[in-house]
Amino acid sequence: MAPLVPSQEELQRRRIIGINAETVTNIPSTDFPGHWPGESHSWALDKFKNGFNVEFHRNDPYEASFSLIGLDAAVANAFRRILMAEIPTLAIEYVFVHNNTSVIQDEVLAQRLGLIPLKGSVEGINWMQWFRKESEEDDGTPADTPSDFNTVVMHLDVECTINADAEPGEQDPRKLYHNAHVYAKDLTFHAVGRQEEYFAGDGAIQPVNPDILIAKLRPGQVIQLEMHCIKGIGADHAKFSPVATASYRLLPDIKIERPIIGEDAKKFAKCFPKGVITLEPVTSAEASRPGSGYEGHAGELKAVVRDAFNDTVSRECLRHEEFQGKVKLGRVRDHFIFNVESTGQFESDVLFLEAVKVLKLKCARWKRGLSDLMA
Amino acid sequence: MSREAYQVPSMGTQNAFGNDAGYTNAMATDTPSVVYLCGECSARVPLKRGDQIRCKDCGHRVLYKERTKRMVQFEAR
Repeated sequence: MAPLVPSQEELQRRRIIGINAETVTNIPSTDFPGHWPGESHSWALDKFKNGFNVEFHRNDPYEASFSLIGLDAAVANAFRRILMAEIPTLAIEYVFVHNNTSVIQDEVLAQRLGLIPLKGSVEGINWMQWFRKESEEDDGTPADTPSDFNTVVMHLDVECTINADAEPGEQDPRKLYHNAHVYAKDLTFHAVGRQEEYFAGDGAIQPVNPDILIAKLRPGQVIQLEMHCIKGIGADHAKFSPVATASYRLLPDIKIERPIIGEDAKKFAKCFPKGVITLEPVTSAEASRPGSGYEGHAGELKAVVRDAFNDTVSRECLRHEEFQGKVKLGRVRDHFIFNVESTGQFESDVLFLEAVKVLKLKCARWKRGLSDLMA
Repeated sequence: MSREAYQVPSMGTQNAFGNDAGYTNAMATDTPSVVYLCGECSARVPLKRGDQIRCKDCGHRVLYKERTKRMVQFEAR
C-alpha cells in the first residue's frame, strides 16, 4: 500500500504551535515515522534539501540575524549550544603578577583580565594550537611548554603619577594624575617567533573594546604583570565563549479568523509592536459578500497582519473580551530566527559556519565510533 | 634589639629607641636600610635600624612594608 500523503493545509496546520492565553499546544514535532498511521515520514536527504532554506535578515560584523527554515529543533539547538560552548577562542588564562600595589586584589584583577575579549588576525588565531594543561587525573602527562603556536604573551605595566600640569583646584582624578584609570587599551602585545608574521600590523592581538576599565590607581600605585593567552572553549570557561548572545526564536504566526473592524481594529493594532498589524479599509467587494462578516462596513478600517516577524507574542490581544475567538496566535515550529552576537574575535556569520563545522566533526566521530562497534 | 634591652618609652623622648644603652650607634650604621611606604603620602621611606619611625616628607608615623618582589601566578578564572 502506498503511503498516505497529507494535504498541504494539513501539513501547514501541523507546523503551527498554538499559543493560547494560558497554554501552549501542539508542541512536539510529529514528522517522524510511526506517528501518523499510514504516512511515511522517513528522513531523506533530498527531501531535507528541498525543504530547507536560509534567509539573512541582517549581517553586521558583530551581529547577525538569520532564519533557518525547515529543520528540526534538535539541530537548531545543537547549533546554538555549539556556538556558545564549543568554538575555540583566545583569552587570557595565566596572569603573572610582578607587582600590584593597587587597591584591587591580584586574584580579582586576574579574573577581570581573563574576561576581556581579544581580537587579532583570524588567520593567526586559527593557526594557533591548544595549550595542553597538566591533566587533573595525575597520569603523568606534563603540561605543554609555552610556545609561539600555543601562547600569546601580553603585558600590563602602568604606574600612576601626579600630573604637574593639572590646573589648580582640579577635582577629576583622570586629569589630576597620569594613569588614574587603567583601561584595556593599556595591554601591550609582544609577538614571539612566528607570531611576528601572523599578528603583524593591524592583526596584532588587542582588546576588542579599548575602553574597558580594568582598575583605578592613585599616585605611587603600580601594576606590573604578564599575561599568557591560550585557546579554550566556552564549556571550560565563559571567557572563551565567542558569542555574547546566541539565541533563536520561532517565527510568530498571527491568524485573524473573524473580522476586526473600526475602533476594535485600532485597539487590536495597539496590542502588538509597531508594524505588525496594519489597518486597511474594507473593500466594497468584501462588504457585498454575504457571511464574510464585513457586510455593511465598506470603507471602515479592518485589522490586517502585515509582518508577524516583529511580534513579541506578548498575548496582550488574548486578554481583551472583544477579540475572543477572533484571533489565533502561534509560532511556526520549524522556522528558527537566530540572532548571533559576536564578542569580536570572529565575525558572527563565520561563527555560525564554525558551529556547522563542529557539528559535522562530531557526526564524523560518531560515525567512526559506530563502524568500530560493528567491526 | 634583645628583650632585655627594652625600655618602656617615656613621654618626653622624641625617639622611643634612641639614646639608650641597649645597642651602640655603630651597630645601627651597619644594618641595611629597608624601604617602607608612608601610610599618608605613600612616599618611599628608607629606614635603618634605630631610625625614627616617621615619614621624612610628611611626618606621618604609620609606615607599611613594601609588597614582595616575588612573582605570583594566578589563573584568570
